[in-house]
Amino acid sequence: MSGLKIEHVYKRYDNEGKGKKKKVNDFAVKDLNLEAEVGEFIALLGPSGCGKTTTLRMTAGLEEITDGSIYINDVRVNDLEPKDRHIGLAFEDYAMYPPLTVYDNIGFNLKAKGVSKEEIDKRVREIAPLMQCDDLLDKMPVKLSGGQKQRVNIARAIVRRPDLLLMDEPLSHLDGKARQAMRTEIKRLINEIKCTTVYVTHDQLEAMSLADRIAIINFGVLQQYGTPAEVYDDPVNEFVAGFIGEPPMNILETTIIGENDHFFFTFANSNLKIQVPERYYNVVKHGFKCKMGVRPMDVLIGGPDSKGTPEHVATFENLGDERRIGIRVGDLLLMLITEDETRYKAGDTIKLEVRAEKTHLFDIETGDRIRSN
Amino acid sequence: MKSGPKLGTKILLNVLLILYAIFALFPLIWMVILSFKSDAQMYNTMFVFTPTLENYRIVLFTTPYPRYLLDSLIVSGLAVVVSVIVGVPAAYALARYNFRKKEDIAFQILSFKFAPEILVVLPLFMIYQKLRIYDTYFGLIWVYQLISMPLLIWVVRGYFEDISVEIEYAAQVDGYTWWQIFFKNLIPLIKPGLVSAALLAFIFAWNEFTFPLLLAGTNVQPITVAITKFLGTDTAHYGQLAVAAVVSALPAIIFALCIQKHLVRGLSFGAVKG
Amino acid sequence: MARITLENVKKSFGKVKALDGISLDIKDKEFFVLFGPAGAGKTTILNNIAGIQVPDEGLVKFDGQIVNLVDAAHRDTAMVFENYALYPQMTVYDNMASALRSNLYKKDEDYINKRVHEIAKMMSMDYLLERLPSQLSNGQKQRVAMGRALVRMPKVYLMDEPLAHLDAKLRNAMRTELKGIQAQFGTTSVYVTHDFMEALSLADRIAVINEGKVVQIGTGDAIYDLPINEFVATLMGDPEINIIPGKLSKEGSVYKFAMKGSGREYELPVDQDLFAKLDTLGVKNVDLALRPQHLRYSFESKPGYLPCTVYSYESIGNKSVIVAEIGGQQLRMIAPNGLRVKIDQDVYVDLDLSHSLFFDSESKDFMARYNEAEIRRIAEPEEEG
Repeated sequence: MSGLKIEHVYKRYDNEGKGKKKKVNDFAVKDLNLEAEVGEFIALLGPSGCGKTTTLRMTAGLEEITDGSIYINDVRVNDLEPKDRHIGLAFEDYAMYPPLTVYDNIGFNLKAKGVSKEEIDKRVREIAPLMQCDDLLDKMPVKLSGGQKQRVNIARAIVRRPDLLLMDEPLSHLDGKARQAMRTEIKRLINEIKCTTVYVTHDQLEAMSLADRIAIINFGVLQQYGTPAEVYDDPVNEFVAGFIGEPPMNILETTIIGENDHFFFTFANSNLKIQVPERYYNVVKHGFKCKMGVRPMDVLIGGPDSKGTPEHVATFENLGDERRIGIRVGDLLLMLITEDETRYKAGDTIKLEVRAEKTHLFDIETGDRIRSN
Repeated sequence: MKSGPKLGTKILLNVLLILYAIFALFPLIWMVILSFKSDAQMYNTMFVFTPTLENYRIVLFTTPYPRYLLDSLIVSGLAVVVSVIVGVPAAYALARYNFRKKEDIAFQILSFKFAPEILVVLPLFMIYQKLRIYDTYFGLIWVYQLISMPLLIWVVRGYFEDISVEIEYAAQVDGYTWWQIFFKNLIPLIKPGLVSAALLAFIFAWNEFTFPLLLAGTNVQPITVAITKFLGTDTAHYGQLAVAAVVSALPAIIFALCIQKHLVRGLSFGAVKG
Repeated sequence: MARITLENVKKSFGKVKALDGISLDIKDKEFFVLFGPAGAGKTTILNNIAGIQVPDEGLVKFDGQIVNLVDAAHRDTAMVFENYALYPQMTVYDNMASALRSNLYKKDEDYINKRVHEIAKMMSMDYLLERLPSQLSNGQKQRVAMGRALVRMPKVYLMDEPLAHLDAKLRNAMRTELKGIQAQFGTTSVYVTHDFMEALSLADRIAVINEGKVVQIGTGDAIYDLPINEFVATLMGDPEINIIPGKLSKEGSVYKFAMKGSGREYELPVDQDLFAKLDTLGVKNVDLALRPQHLRYSFESKPGYLPCTVYSYESIGNKSVIVAEIGGQQLRMIAPNGLRVKIDQDVYVDLDLSHSLFFDSESKDFMARYNEAEIRRIAEPEEEG
């Protein structure tokens, strides 16, 4: 049984009235296929306007499905009303009923369904400690901080024991500290209640830290669906590679040259030379143009006897936990991250080493990953 | 894929709308028809008649009707000008500064519009007599701006509140004086609201009847009052009356058509906030 | 170019005390960052420097000259507002040219044209010049707001969260760019942010602001490595620094630290200066603070390692964070991505105590740390703090 299955789903908005924007992107969601196991936590990740929220809204039944099917626990829900889909919703803007206490807010939906008072009480008191809002139960919503509101909001979504929990950017209103704390809370909560969850976000950090699997969407099209480690280490194209990771992956245009049975990446206006991993030798040739991607942590500063290319430091940032160094490669900056405590200055020379086996190749036109066969 | 309501529903909706439009517009249409009828055919309810421009000729060339129009124009126009000159700074102050009783004052201004005219007009009549401004342009403009000012202040205030104060700060830092900021940055931003509020205020003033009826009548005769003259003591020249009404309604209709796009957006955009 | 001094500046809005005696001395050509949580009063400080607001009490000086009574237009500053404050009726070009067209800072149109294009190119937004602000995304608006400030060469740049609404990629790039610009023009800059990475990366000096007061002023290194209290320590670094309450005891010449909750007693690595300082302070109840990068984990029991359970394991992009728990005490540490870690499984943690900081657990003030003299030498380059 799968907790959620999205099959060839399309969404098209009727733009007839507005006329203007018609051609640009007809489909908000295009042939989307996703499947989540029962109890799995999946994240829909992408830039704003990519169709992730539309997908969530279609799953919730707030938006009509243009084509395709959505199944929750193997039941086709296309024609079911939102209230009959057994879903819990936690949305970005916490709409709570202001005249009700937190307790009544959490219990409101159960009350509406005619659940008995004792049962409501039992469930509310069961859920509240999970979301650490047991001491808030008697408060009014206006008295709560942003983080507390969001806790209550999530508690309200899960108190119904939904088959599927849908969350849309639930942390976007919180500041850095509270966000970090809530992330951990959500992660533990889902682990506890084992509810299939779909989490929409544009923040790769949230997706990476929370989800079992991440669906990366751009322009309504699914780019890649995989575990955080897969999308991080094995991106299918340049978009995914650049979207995941902070700072982003270095992606540079390169011309490959062959020298003494070996191939090297070379770059315009730069003497940087990196060996191409041998597994690519059957797909590249002398003069082959493509893009090379390498994560900033796979670029290293070599020791005194390193054979790395000597390069000048262009920028140096000390961020406390780590230090970032930028090296000019043509017009672009190649970033590297180091925990080396040395304080470099612009103009210092360092020996640059690249973990060649960690480099990726992308097609210069399509951005698709070039793989070794 | 579904596409909105079904065709049948659409037709039904449109028919209903057309019926309502006819109902709403009928008095106007009837008035226009009357203005083209001769006195002889006046009581003929049939739509068939011989159109004539006689009524127009009489009203426009043999009566002092153009003077009444001019009076209306002077009184309403100047009232709006006064409202703008006084009201825009007042709206700015209400939007930007915090002072005691601010909301009370704002409400007080609006409440001028609540009082039934007939209630205030009698004391005003006495006061005007004493001040010797009864039946003068000044007197009418003064009372007219009471009608137009509240509307203007409330609409424009909403506009000012929608402009983030940082824009003024930014302009200050850019080296502009307050007056420059006001005219170069703020006025262009409130223009849609200001124009629509001013025109609406003008139309209200133009249509005013009670005040001019009781506070003027000989020296100053706005069109609304003057029209009643066509109802003579002996005979009622409905045709001429209709002509006077049609012509006097024209400025309002023309304005409304010009600004209708701005009107709805202008009035709702600034003033109505969540 | 100017030196900016604030002397005991106070400012209230109604009953709310926004600034409660702020004193700052911002040097000529300095890149000075005001750092603190939301609502700390950072923006109010900026507004007082700009002359948009006037202090209730205290003095604002430019180059020693009191400017309290000088209005914003005549202070010769350029400001980037957090909500952009672009003139909606003007194109991007006109927005950027605005200051150079005012009577005060007037320049001829040729110069304006050249300058605007130069800055626009630098910010890679020359293709936006003809657009209206309503046609821009938030990130683009923010760049225009920056550009508008940069076209002038004022005495001081005032920037209020100028990178907050940019996406990660652009933010990284702009941070670098900004540093370059400041280095090139050498204009005194005051920069407000709540992002510690921005603060550390850009600042010559940072002032940590909280509840309308200055908590600490110093170089990035000083704020990061020698925080004046636990509040400052927790603001810097992601994941947050570990604060471990416990008790100090001395046996002979050896200091021991008994960690609360775990029942574990650690013998502190020897550092004579540190021990001497602890001797003089004589505080027993301390909070030991240790950055996550100085904790090590193992999934097999190892001698000296603390047996804990996994509270959470989260990837944060380039690395992951393991939060371990023992007796209600959470310990955060860095781990690589892609480990197979289950919540509530066993994990063994080793603390590298030779990087510890000590705080008084009553007052939460800084007491001492390892290698203090050496770190002070790096962190406080010229004068002693």
